[in-house]
Amino acid sequence: MEFIVRHKTIVAFVFFTLFCIISLSIKSTSLTISIEGIGSALSLPFQKGYNGIINGLGGVWRGYSEFETLRNDVKSLREKLQKYESLSEEISEIKIENKRLRTVLGLKESIPYSSVHASVISKDPDNWFRTIIINRGESDGIRINMPVIAFYGSQKAVVGKIVDVKGSISRVLPIISPEFKMGVIFQENRSPGLLRGLSASSNLCNIDYVSKTANVKFGGIIVSSEQGGVFPQGLLVGTVLKSEGIETSAYQRVIVKPALDYYSIHEVFVIKKEADKELLELFKELK
Amino acid sequence: MIYSYIYTAILVIVSLVIQSHSSFDVLRIAGVKPDLLFIVIIYVSYMFGSFYGEITGFLSGILHDSLSNSPLGLMTFPKMALGFIVGMFGRTVIKNNILTILLLLFTASIVKGIFMLFLCYVFHQSLASSVPGVILPEAFYNAILAPPLFYIFDKIYQKEIERESSH
Repeated sequence: MEFIVRHKTIVAFVFFTLFCIISLSIKSTSLTISIEGIGSALSLPFQKGYNGIINGLGGVWRGYSEFETLRNDVKSLREKLQKYESLSEEISEIKIENKRLRTVLGLKESIPYSSVHASVISKDPDNWFRTIIINRGESDGIRINMPVIAFYGSQKAVVGKIVDVKGSISRVLPIISPEFKMGVIFQENRSPGLLRGLSASSNLCNIDYVSKTANVKFGGIIVSSEQGGVFPQGLLVGTVLKSEGIETSAYQRVIVKPALDYYSIHEVFVIKKEADKELLELFKELK
Repeated sequence: MIYSYIYTAILVIVSLVIQSHSSFDVLRIAGVKPDLLFIVIIYVSYMFGSFYGEITGFLSGILHDSLSNSPLGLMTFPKMALGFIVGMFGRTVIKNNILTILLLLFTASIVKGIFMLFLCYVFHQSLASSVPGVILPEAFYNAILAPPLFYIFDKIYQKEIERESSH
């Protein structure tokens, strides 16, 4: 006992090192999960409180600064409204054409699932993992592998998927994470590919397994495909930045800029769509 | 000493909460944000020695792992080990001036990155390729932020440091 007290620094170091190595070796067990649960339970009230303060202060400031601009906006919006009313006839024509094209392409008119609105309460505190924590959890019907989207203008764009669910919070793996994988297609030529995050410090993604024969253009739109069984088809993913041919391969590699900026995601929607387990298992085998 | 425990607990929680809030993303340079928690750990181990440093590193590392998507231990081990190593030298060896603090944080962040890289290769291979691109920018960022933060921490712990020095 005296030895332990005298060499407490070394003893503690050895004990902590063993704890870390054992914990990393066994990964997810009830012990590590409960320790992590205690950790998040300790820090979550502070996170929620800080989030509330920041949002509250931001709201007051925005209300104050936007009051003047609001008055001018109302005036200009009235003028615009008159202009847009005349466009309604033209829009109805476009709608009909759009409907016809959607039928041709086999896309669904809208996503036939219900969704839950959620706010981002925190993000990963380090630079190696890029996950987002939202304020909806198991009690709101959220389950692992449910798709998460946000609005990019009027379009539904992919944010990521749920990877961890607790009582009132969930963890979202965003598309820029290197651990993320999803099936995508090029909107123009319907070529398929596999999208992943480029690196831990980048906000870009790359698409592998794109056939060299596929005509990939700068700015081309990428949408989700149903491969993988998680995402519904037709959600906006991003646009093509560049493509690189790989000499020894029959495929080309495409770098994609996601439609949504990871740093400015604050409000999201979780689509209540259970993943197709068989497709998901097949998809996980792809490396 | 009880006050320094309370101050450290507050600093750890505040740095974790700030670091994980979305608004902190505006501070990212080259896709990397500073590790405030790590700066706190290096400060306490530098000021109060190995034992205090490794305990702070271990407990705050567990909190960090709980908030992050990382497996339990991946963030804990580098923080705990650096708390132990820096505390061995401490203020008796490393003089408290801007240049040495810059170098201390830069070197400690690089060593932390190397530990991370090693653990990733052994336990979490999918992440290993991403780590090198993060180590250097993060080390620069931590080093630049360290002198002003050390100055603030000196003010917070002033009474405790004076009491320790008088013993």
